[in-house]
Amino acid sequence: MATGTRSDDIENFGTVSKAVGTVFRYVLLAATLFGIVVLGALLVYVANDAIQPLTADPGWHLTFLLTLVLPTLGVGGYLYRRDTDALRFGATTVGMTVVTLMFAGGVGMIFVDILSPFVLLAYTVGLALPFAAVLVLQRRARRIPFLTRAGVTTLAFYGSLFGLPGPVGTAVGVPTIVPGVPGLIRSVPTIPLGWMSLTATLGLGVAALVGVYAARVRTRRAGLFAGVGALAVIATSGVLGPFVGVTSVPAVVLASVAVVPTVVYAAGTVASRPSQRVGMLVPAVVIGGTLVGEVAVGALGFAGPQSWVDWQFLTSAHSRNAIDAGLYPAIGGSILLMGTVAVLSFPLGVGAAVYLEEYAPDNRFTRVIDVNISNLAGVPSVVYGLLGLGVFVTYLGRSTGTVLIGGATLALLILPIVIISSREAIRSVPNEMRQASYGMGATKWQTVRRVVLPRAFPGILTGTILALGRAIGETAPLIMIGAPSVLFSLPTGLSSKVSAMPLQVFAWSSLFASEDFYTKAVPAGVVVLVSVLLAMNSVAIVLRNRYQSEQ
Amino acid sequence: MTDGHGQADDGIEPDGGEATTEDPSTEMSITTDVSESVSASATTGEADTLVEARDVSVYYNDERALNDITMEIPRNRVTAMIGPSGCGKSTFLRCINRMNDMIDAARVEGDLLLRGKNVYDDDVDPVALRRRVGMVFQKPNPFPKSIYDNVAYGLEIQGADGDYDAIVEESLKRAALWDEVKDQLDESGLDLSGGQQQRLCIARAIAPDPEVILMDEPASALDPVATSKIEDLIDDLAEEYTVVIVTHNMQQAARISDKTAVFLTGGELVEFDDTDKIFENPDSQRVEDYITGKFG
Repeated sequence: MATGTRSDDIENFGTVSKAVGTVFRYVLLAATLFGIVVLGALLVYVANDAIQPLTADPGWHLTFLLTLVLPTLGVGGYLYRRDTDALRFGATTVGMTVVTLMFAGGVGMIFVDILSPFVLLAYTVGLALPFAAVLVLQRRARRIPFLTRAGVTTLAFYGSLFGLPGPVGTAVGVPTIVPGVPGLIRSVPTIPLGWMSLTATLGLGVAALVGVYAARVRTRRAGLFAGVGALAVIATSGVLGPFVGVTSVPAVVLASVAVVPTVVYAAGTVASRPSQRVGMLVPAVVIGGTLVGEVAVGALGFAGPQSWVDWQFLTSAHSRNAIDAGLYPAIGGSILLMGTVAVLSFPLGVGAAVYLEEYAPDNRFTRVIDVNISNLAGVPSVVYGLLGLGVFVTYLGRSTGTVLIGGATLALLILPIVIISSREAIRSVPNEMRQASYGMGATKWQTVRRVVLPRAFPGILTGTILALGRAIGETAPLIMIGAPSVLFSLPTGLSSKVSAMPLQVFAWSSLFASEDFYTKAVPAGVVVLVSVLLAMNSVAIVLRNRYQSEQ
Repeated sequence: MTDGHGQADDGIEPDGGEATTEDPSTEMSITTDVSESVSASATTGEADTLVEARDVSVYYNDERALNDITMEIPRNRVTAMIGPSGCGKSTFLRCINRMNDMIDAARVEGDLLLRGKNVYDDDVDPVALRRRVGMVFQKPNPFPKSIYDNVAYGLEIQGADGDYDAIVEESLKRAALWDEVKDQLDESGLDLSGGQQQRLCIARAIAPDPEVILMDEPASALDPVATSKIEDLIDDLAEEYTVVIVTHNMQQAARISDKTAVFLTGGELVEFDDTDKIFENPDSQRVEDYITGKFG
């Protein structure tokens, strides 16, 4: 019988060779790691050239090993065994401190050298007044017809910003009778100090966010206290900053962008999850260790590394001597470009994504658009540069190499990426949400605005930040539109010439190619550029992780 | 619609409203208009028809999913639709508020009247129709918003006037959820348990005071305890609303409904009658076979 012969075989299954599979597996692993390892090795070399850690005294290394590295490793290891959530919280706080400090540097740069805080105040008030009026109007009467509402809203913003009849009146020869709010404020004889204006705009905005956050995790009362407290801290920093060697405006920026958000994040987490309190050991050890180490090497007279990435490099312009060369105008240019790119590409990209996902019928036209957006994402950046040159410079007759043109060209470059990632975020909103909304008698617009977009927003934001990360590293389009490689001052407006970090690095390695620039300025520039990029991407990654864990 | 909100306003007094609103149904029956209270009090007699289907057929592409359905759904009653999977009962439910319009391939023929008006007439806006016909889905699907905002959603999109706080409280009370969530109205609706989420969805559906509430297997994703809460709730809702519920649980239909429609394979309405009659003495042999579990 068949069963009889089967049972004889049971003793002896034999083995099946898995050698090919094993080899294949490790080949795949090698393929996975290849790029990362090569790039990592390059970055280590570059960082070594830029920071030159080996030029420091052995005593310097030893001091920091004892005060910073060993305590951090100890606390990290302890928490890793006991409470990984707390460790993650602590590490996030440290990371947030570093990243927000970098952002504070960028924002500070804007308010010190590009945009006067008073002008910001004037325009903020000019925008806030009509906004408040519209908000009150909408609360009071929910049934005002759409066109009336849109008309009144537009008129309110226009009148407040430009006055009545404003530029339109000037164009037809009618003088402005009622001046706009910003103009009115700027004509006031006594203007507040810079840090006061900044506290009233940036500081107030941050304080409001803090208040809303605290009200959400605790009570409304707590929210009020937190908001007022944050504002008080920011204002105090403006007063006390000069006494500790930081001028008022950067001190306010530092408090609003770095100190307050980090402290609020840490305090909020500790308050809502007391068990993770122990995670605060990590930032305490890192920050304390750095300070103690700094004091110790100063007292003991150990010299630090001869780093090229230093305060001088970050705050001065290009120079004939590699030692005096700096990246300041290029950093400022990159910041302005990123701002312009974000403002231009975000609404266009999200708009296109919403149309394609929610409105577009499934026909041949849509499918052609669909395929071509994917194609556009792969078009070489130099072609976009040519497009920018052709459209904005030759056709529209703008001057070459300005912030606006550079930003518009880079915005075109990343538009397909923004569209694709936004579509993905919108598509990931569960269909049940839309069904529920339509079932309630919501129109398509109401469903998109109240259900789909709020839910997709973190994903859209993540995709946009990653796309901006691509734009910040682009060199070719900027060369094509004639951006100057070397600029000695920050751009002051949208129509002034702009340089950017990758462009400056490229110039150092081509136009000014000499031993000094190769080995000093170029690596330092690359380190700054990559750090900014990593900081931006880390924000995107943190956003994405939070979003995923909330679902 | 504004009448309904007026009642809600009356039902809640600013201070110590607890006592008066313990049983909202008594409040409501006092203030409802005359014709409704007559029909509501005459629970034993025949109720008037609110929704009427005449020869309704639905096609997906060229495949017929519903076959000449003719039935009259009475006002302020619970009407259950039972039948095996794929028999078209959910399709029929979605005809009433024209949710089938969302599916490009679906085509509806025949007349479906709400208060004598064919909802498939050209001058009927499906969005406006859905504001008068609430819907509760199989899987609880609260919005990722606060509990308050979930319930107020219908009011906001309709731009309704009135005291939203009061309407939200009233709706949550009617959905038997108020006591469980009154201290956490600002928290996300997604943090609730499945049964609570479904009651939140019911509160959301009744907040704008619709005429009909459609329920598509509202308890099929819930555990027995949550299911029984939903069933009690449906019973209460029928005092105010016309409820049409699809279920594949025959015991549930027997427990909660006044009228039962039995759909069988092929999109056919085999029998529609009082629930007692369907379950005790159906006319059709096929219905008897289905109910006694011989097939399906």
